[in-house]
Amino acid sequence: MPSPVLHVRDLSKKYGDLVAVDGVSFDVEREEVFGILGPNGAGKTTTLECIETLRPFEAGEILLDGVDVRVNPQEVKRRIGVQLQSSSFFDKLDLSELLSLFGELYSRRVDAVRLLEEVELEDKARSRVGELSGGQKQRFSIAAALVNDPLVLFLDEPTTGLDPQARRHLWGVVRKIRSEGKTVVLTTHYMDEAEVLCDRVAIMDHGKIIALDPPQVLVQRLLSGGFKRERVQHQASLEDVFLDLTGHSLREE
Amino acid sequence: MRVKWMLTLASFKMFFRQREAIIWSFILPLFIVSIFAFVRFDSLGRIRLGIVDESGGRSADLLNALEQVETFRTDLGSRETELEELERGERDLVLVISGSVPGDDSNSVLVYTNEEKVQETQIGVLVLQRCLDERLLQRTPLAGRIIVRAQPVKSRNLTYIDFLLPGVLSMSIMQMGIFGVAFSFVSLKKRGILRRLSVTPISPADFIVAQVATRVAVLMLQIALMVAAGMLFMHFHFEGNLLSMFLIGVLGAVVFLSVGFAIAGVSKSEDQVAPLANIITLPLLFLSGIFFDRSSLPVFLQRITDFSPLTHIADAMRAVAIDGASLLDVGPQLLGLVIWGILACLVAVKLFRWE
Repeated sequence: MPSPVLHVRDLSKKYGDLVAVDGVSFDVEREEVFGILGPNGAGKTTTLECIETLRPFEAGEILLDGVDVRVNPQEVKRRIGVQLQSSSFFDKLDLSELLSLFGELYSRRVDAVRLLEEVELEDKARSRVGELSGGQKQRFSIAAALVNDPLVLFLDEPTTGLDPQARRHLWGVVRKIRSEGKTVVLTTHYMDEAEVLCDRVAIMDHGKIIALDPPQVLVQRLLSGGFKRERVQHQASLEDVFLDLTGHSLREE
Repeated sequence: MRVKWMLTLASFKMFFRQREAIIWSFILPLFIVSIFAFVRFDSLGRIRLGIVDESGGRSADLLNALEQVETFRTDLGSRETELEELERGERDLVLVISGSVPGDDSNSVLVYTNEEKVQETQIGVLVLQRCLDERLLQRTPLAGRIIVRAQPVKSRNLTYIDFLLPGVLSMSIMQMGIFGVAFSFVSLKKRGILRRLSVTPISPADFIVAQVATRVAVLMLQIALMVAAGMLFMHFHFEGNLLSMFLIGVLGAVVFLSVGFAIAGVSKSEDQVAPLANIITLPLLFLSGIFFDRSSLPVFLQRITDFSPLTHIADAMRAVAIDGASLLDVGPQLLGLVIWGILACLVAVKLFRWE
C-alpha cells in the first residue's frame, strides 16, 4: 500500500491560552479530495496553516510526501499549492503576468494560457485581478496555486461568499483537477459541498476531529442509529428552485 | 539570482503602472523646481562690488569712500578669491586697485565685470566713475580724468535653481524611501499578498532585494531626468559627475529605504504610516537646507541639523552639482550617510515584520 501523501499526527497549536488545534491526527491518500468541516473557530484554518508551513506548532508531526514540515519547510513549499482564505494579488499585473511571476518564484516557466484554461479564465488573460468577480477571483487563486504543478492542493473555504452558480462552477474545476491526479485538501462549512466533492471528510470542533469517514458512511451511521428528520425530505430544495429559475450557467461577466 | 531579477522586473513594471508613483517621483519634483525657476529672489538689491586692494594700504580713503556708496554692497578680498566669486556669479563687478592708486599715480583703473549682468555692471561702472571723479575734484591740482577700464568676465551666475534642484532631488530620495516603501509594504501586508508569497519557496530577502533594486533604479532615472531637464530648460549649472550623484543618491536611499521598512514594520495599516512618516520627514524637510539655506536657522538648530542625513545628501549633491566637487571632497557627507545607513539598517532589521 502506498504511503499517504499527507500524514498528520497529534498536531497541537496554541494561541496563548487558547488551544486552537488539540491533538489532531489524520492521513490523506493520494488522489483523493479530503474535506475538513466544522463551524467557525473549530481549528480548520489553523490546521491547514500548520501544514502549509505558515505557522509554527507546539506538538505533533506533519509529513508531506514523506517530508517533515518542521525540518524542511522549503521542500514542502515546493510540493504544495495553496489558496489562502483571503489572498489577493498584485493589482498592477494582469492574470497572465501574475501566473508567469508566480511560476518564477518556483523557478518554473509556466504556460499561463493552459493554467487559465484549467480554471476557465482563458479569456481574462489580460485582465487585472481587481476586474474579476468573486468566483473568478477564487478560480484565479486556484490557478496561481497550480503554477508549480503541486502534489497537494490546499483550498481554504474556496466557495465562501459565492453565489450558487459560481459555487457549482468551482466544484467543476476542483473535480477536473482531481481527475488529473492531484490530491486536494479543502475546508468548507457547506455540507452539500463536502457531500458532492469529498471522498472523505474530517469533522472538527473545538480543535479536535470528532468524525472522519466518507460522507455516505457518516450519513448511514447516523440513519442506522435511528435518526429521522423532523420535516419530510422533499426531492428538491430551495436552491434547486433558484438554479432552475436563474439557470445553471454562470453570468459573472 | 534569477528569482531576484524576475521579481525586480515585475516590480519595476508595477511601479510604472502606478500613476501616483510617477507623479510623486517624476512630475512633482520637476513641477516644484520649475515654479521656482521663474522666481528670482536675487534680482533686487544692491550691486555687488568686489574690491581687490593691492596698493598696500595707500588707498584706504578710496575704500572708505566706496563703502559709503549706497548702491554697492562691497566685499574686500584678494584678486584670486574675488575673481573666483565673480566667476561663480557672486559679484557683479570687481575693482582692482593695483600698485598705483588711481588719481594719485595712475589715471586708469581696471574693473572686471560680470558679462551677463549687463544692467548691474553698467550702473556699477557709472557709479564707480562718479566716485572717482568726485574724489579727484576735491584735490588740487586736477590730475585729469580717471578712465575706468571694464574687463568683462564670463560668470556662472548661480541662481536659486542651482540651490533648489539638488535639494528637491534629495527630498525625493527621502520621500520615495519613506513613503514609497512604508505605504506599499503595509498595503501588501494588509491585503495578504506578503502572506501569499510566504507559501512560495522565495525567501523574504529575495523580495526585499527586488523592492530595493526597483527603487534604486527609479532613483537614478530621477536624478538623470531632473539634471537633464534643469540644464535644458532652467539654466541649471551642472558642473558635476552624474555617477557621483548616483552614488550619493544610492547611499541616501539606503538610509531612507531602511527607515521606510522600519515604519512598515511597526504599522498595521496605512493610517498608522502617515503620521509616523510625516513626523520624520517634515522637520527634516524644513531644517536640512532643502528650500532655504541653513544659515538662516538659529545657530543651535544649525549645529543639530549638521547631522541630519538629509543635510548630508543635499550638501553633497549641491557640492557635486554646482562646484563639480569630487567624491573625495564630499567625503565627510558620504561618511555621515554610511553611518546613518548602518544605523537605519539595524533598526529596520529589528522592526520589520512580514505579518
